[in-house]
Amino acid sequence: MLREQFPGLQQTVHGKPLVYLDNAATAQRPQRVLDAIMDYYLHHNANIHRGVHSLSESATALYEQARQSLARLLNAPSDKNLIFVRGCTEGVNLVAQTFVRSRIQAGDEILISHLEHHSNIVPWQILCEQTGAVLKVIPMNDQGELQLDQLDQLLTEKTRFMSVVHVSNALGTINPVKKMIAMAHDKGVPVLVDGAQAMPHLPVDVQDLDCDFYTVSGHKMYGPTGSGVLFGKAEHLEAMPPYHGGGEMISKVTFESTVYNAVPAKFEAGTPHIAGGIGLGAAAEFMMETGMSQIADRDQQLRIYAEQALSEVPGLKMVGTAVEKSPVFSFNIDGIHAHDIGTIIDHCGVAIRTGHHCTMPIFQYFGLAGSCRASLAFYNTEQEVDVLVESLLKAKAMFE
Amino acid sequence: MSDLNKLYKKTVLEHNRNPRNYGVPESWTHHSEGLNAVCGDLVHVYLTISEDCLQAVHYAGESCAISMASASLMTEFSTGMSVETWQKKFKLFKQLMDKNNDLQEIGGLGEINTLSTVKKFPSRIKSATLCWYAMAAAIDGIPNATTEN
Ligand SMILES: Cc1ncc(COP(=O)(O)O)c(C=O)c1O
Repeated sequence: MLREQFPGLQQTVHGKPLVYLDNAATAQRPQRVLDAIMDYYLHHNANIHRGVHSLSESATALYEQARQSLARLLNAPSDKNLIFVRGCTEGVNLVAQTFVRSRIQAGDEILISHLEHHSNIVPWQILCEQTGAVLKVIPMNDQGELQLDQLDQLLTEKTRFMSVVHVSNALGTINPVKKMIAMAHDKGVPVLVDGAQAMPHLPVDVQDLDCDFYTVSGHKMYGPTGSGVLFGKAEHLEAMPPYHGGGEMISKVTFESTVYNAVPAKFEAGTPHIAGGIGLGAAAEFMMETGMSQIADRDQQLRIYAEQALSEVPGLKMVGTAVEKSPVFSFNIDGIHAHDIGTIIDHCGVAIRTGHHCTMPIFQYFGLAGSCRASLAFYNTEQEVDVLVESLLKAKAMFE
Repeated sequence: MSDLNKLYKKTVLEHNRNPRNYGVPESWTHHSEGLNAVCGDLVHVYLTISEDCLQAVHYAGESCAISMASASLMTEFSTGMSVETWQKKFKLFKQLMDKNNDLQEIGGLGEINTLSTVKKFPSRIKSATLCWYAMAAAIDGIPNATTEN
């Protein structure tokens, strides 16, 4: 059983078996990820790319093997297309400040969507402040789907970049990013895809998508916190200036000038999160062995089951009812505030998130302060969905 | 009684259902907006102060049961009190709600003591304290308030 490989799931909370439905915030990690991290610290602990001694060599090899595993997972043409980052947040900021900043002027436009996480909004607002560029937003409809009939006219001759989320963390909407990328490319606009919530659930093929950049967060794809990768097309990475300055990203330093190292080292200043990168590589191997299409199929089974089960809770209003959806359920229940629900069902062992989920504009659209969000992963079960439903009924009973 | 039932005890549920002094009053002399950015709770406190006395205390906003009940209890508790007395009570309230102690009640806080059970739920303490910080800010003429730290 896959589920048994996740020690974090084998716990009790308030004396009840943990029902972990907060996977969109962070997933649980399989034993082999934990083992890979421990193995590095126990047997290969050394800095990478910096020593001729054996430990440094084996640490470097493990780190670079992890990059190769991630390249295979994303189907990148080469592991040199991948930059290790702390997560999606850093991936977006890196692209904003290196790639986009050097090609944008006052009055130019950057296009994002209404479904973005704050981490794909604020870096662009900062860039707009720095350059006088203007942020434009692809609107959404009442189901929480992007209004793609408006995309063509939003891609103007002033648009310099588009950055869109693949799967919404708040509503679960799966955006047709391949089509959106093709439309942007027709107008010569490069595209970054925020894959934080897509990679844990869907097969991702960056060559098939033809995206210019794709970024993922390790901790959402069963890997360590503080890890992630940014994919970039080779010609972009070559042309981009470095992000941070420091050790590792140079090939020669004098007080007069510095020659930068080759890609991807150019973007990886300082000692990285070595254990994190190695753990993330183990997560990528785990996902490939499990099979991304098996994971996606199981997700959809759970989504259909949970959609039906939740629809039977009286007074429950679902927020976000897209046709193409990941197993993420945002909802409110008449007469009970989300935080009260969160606290009450925690006592039944059920972990969900409550609030605005770092997507305040989405909730502004719906006129809500926030929601309860149950987000599932392939290791969740139908029985756990039943426990969620029972716990919601219990919360309702308390408030009646 | 389980901790959960202590948290959502009758008093809290009843005040949540029938909040006292709820809604924007026709007039006021002092106002402040309390925002808890992490969970999005928003409370407005409206005061009518004359001759250093809290003649009327109202609140509005949408928030969880703990926050609603705390605000409702606060308005009942504070109405008619002198500002100076209220400020002393506020100090006591902060002591009561300090998660670093086990105090379950403090003399002089009356029914407010019922909120001390929230300390068992650290992530919810701010729900209970936000309106008090907003009221203290309103008295000081500060338009926006958050809970400390
Ligand atoms: C859609 C989406 N994008 C970006 C992020 C940011 O990821 P991280 O916090 O790992 O940098 C998240 C995480 O919540 C997310 O759900």
